[in-house]
Amino acid sequence: MSTEQAVRETAGNVLVAEALTKRFGPSVLALDGLTMTVGPGVTGLVGANGAGKSTLIKILLGLLPPTSGRASVLGLDTATQAARIRSLTGYMPEHDCLPPDVTATEFVTHMGRMSGIPPTAAKERAAECLRHVGLYEERYRQIGTYSTGMKQRVKLAQALAGAPRLLLLDEPTNGLDPAGRTAMLDLISRIGAEFGISVVVSSHLLGEIEQICDHLIAIDGGRLLRAATISSFTRASQVLAVEVDEGADALAAELSGRGLAPVLAGRELLLLIGGDETFDAVRDAVAALGLPLTRMEQRRHRVEELFRADGTLTGAIDEH
Amino acid sequence: MSTDSGAAGTGVIHDIGYQGYDGPRLGRRAIALALTWHSLRSAFGIGRGAKAKIVPVLTFVIMCAPAVVNAVAMALGRSHVRVVPYDTYVGPLRVLVMLVFIAAQAPELVSRDLRSRVLPLYFARPIRRRDYPLAKYAAFGLACLAMIDIPVLLLYAGTIMQVHGGAAVWTQTRELIPGLLTGLMWAAVLAAVGLALASVSGRRAFSTGSVAIFLFMTWTLTTVLTKIAQTTGPGGTGAHLSSSAGVTTAAHLFGLISPFTVADGVRQWLGGTSPGIVAAPGRFGPAYGVMLVVFLGVSLAALVRRYASASVA
Repeated sequence: MSTEQAVRETAGNVLVAEALTKRFGPSVLALDGLTMTVGPGVTGLVGANGAGKSTLIKILLGLLPPTSGRASVLGLDTATQAARIRSLTGYMPEHDCLPPDVTATEFVTHMGRMSGIPPTAAKERAAECLRHVGLYEERYRQIGTYSTGMKQRVKLAQALAGAPRLLLLDEPTNGLDPAGRTAMLDLISRIGAEFGISVVVSSHLLGEIEQICDHLIAIDGGRLLRAATISSFTRASQVLAVEVDEGADALAAELSGRGLAPVLAGRELLLLIGGDETFDAVRDAVAALGLPLTRMEQRRHRVEELFRADGTLTGAIDEH
Repeated sequence: MSTDSGAAGTGVIHDIGYQGYDGPRLGRRAIALALTWHSLRSAFGIGRGAKAKIVPVLTFVIMCAPAVVNAVAMALGRSHVRVVPYDTYVGPLRVLVMLVFIAAQAPELVSRDLRSRVLPLYFARPIRRRDYPLAKYAAFGLACLAMIDIPVLLLYAGTIMQVHGGAAVWTQTRELIPGLLTGLMWAAVLAAVGLALASVSGRRAFSTGSVAIFLFMTWTLTTVLTKIAQTTGPGGTGAHLSSSAGVTTAAHLFGLISPFTVADGVRQWLGGTSPGIVAAPGRFGPAYGVMLVVFLGVSLAALVRRYASASVA
């Protein structure tokens, strides 16, 4: 197949995999005929550990050859144009990959050079990328002195240093505390929205992926489980969770009296949101009863709910 | 991007947003060259902390000492005769210094990247698998060449300042060239052996250990075995133990064990006249040539294979 044909076929798609299979030895089947397409924007690649996420990323970069099937990245074939793909793609591995005895500035500059950026531009880009990930004066310190969160930022900065059109991020929130996770996810979201770079971000934690992704690809056992847009299910259910320290039953009765249908789930009351008047009703009910209100939270449908206990997806989500 | 806000020029610092890049993207060859240059710098601890510079600077200074001593001796002495040969320099010193330099600095180039698991970042970039070890070899070969040949050039510079007349300078220059070529041969084979051994492990101690042990053991074996063969040879104390022809052959062949003596044997085989550092190849010159190619070939093949395997990424 000619390149032009391939580009036309995959036009608008950042990633295309067709019947991609990868075997390690006779017994391990990491990818099993995976077929999928990924458009621009931020795409979550979710699946349990061992689902084949890292293997897929390595094949897309040409680091591993597939046993059979084909894939393309940015319209370029992984089998024949791997070098071009790698010059346009930034990769952040899951594991530690930073030398401890150099400064972040030196390291990111060097990695920019290794992506083919000329010396002066590589220096400028390193400073800029480190600033964007939130490393300022610290960047002149040796990486060995950094916290886990700072190291993750350097890993992201080195992926940005080569001025990629696509970022492949393998478990970027691994090892981060909750605040670090939020910061990292915000950063990834900004990269997708403001930097104009498509992002494929893998995670085994479905809950955090939903916060930042436009699309979702779920794989399990090396096969595509489901592809969906996040918006297709965030629209599906808007739930208000209300938590009070005491008097939940009384509040439920009061809210029922105001024409709502609260469901008591543990210590929380769940309500379908009908509009601003739902919030007003809860406020008035709590005030009327004089209850100590602990929490009031608008919930989107959780991505966890995509998965049933047996690992398959529920049918509640629109196929995309 | 967001630079066109109304507050421009009022001294407020703006987040100017992400700058894309439209400039040139260099190809695989340029990237491999950049990696070579980066590695060459790190072989001397440049771009690293002060601690990383101790061994390379110290070994280099020690290596230069004979050239300085020679220059002083020639300036003070009456005869103005050069006391250090260009091709063998000071043999045992050169062996010792290179042993320390390679054992300390070859891991700096390869073992470090294995340990910090940075290799997947290289292989996720445009260069191919084999570009990495070859760039490292080119860099370390150049580093070893600098360690060996810069002192030789200093020796030359110190010498021609003391000799008079164009003919004398020309004579020195003619003798210098085989000296520099010997250095090139040493650098080529030692860099390959050193990197191949250093890349076995990401743990620096193992990496340095395997280089040091291999180079030191083979050197010691060669020295000891050659000594034994020579003392038991014709005119030696133990001549009665075996036939004199056999002993002489052994003395010639024990030099094949160590990369240092192999390189020196090839030098003598190709017409080098200065006395060898341990062994004289005698009629086995071609065997030394073959062994040099074997050391070089096996080491480079092992090095390239090391990085071809999926396990490093």
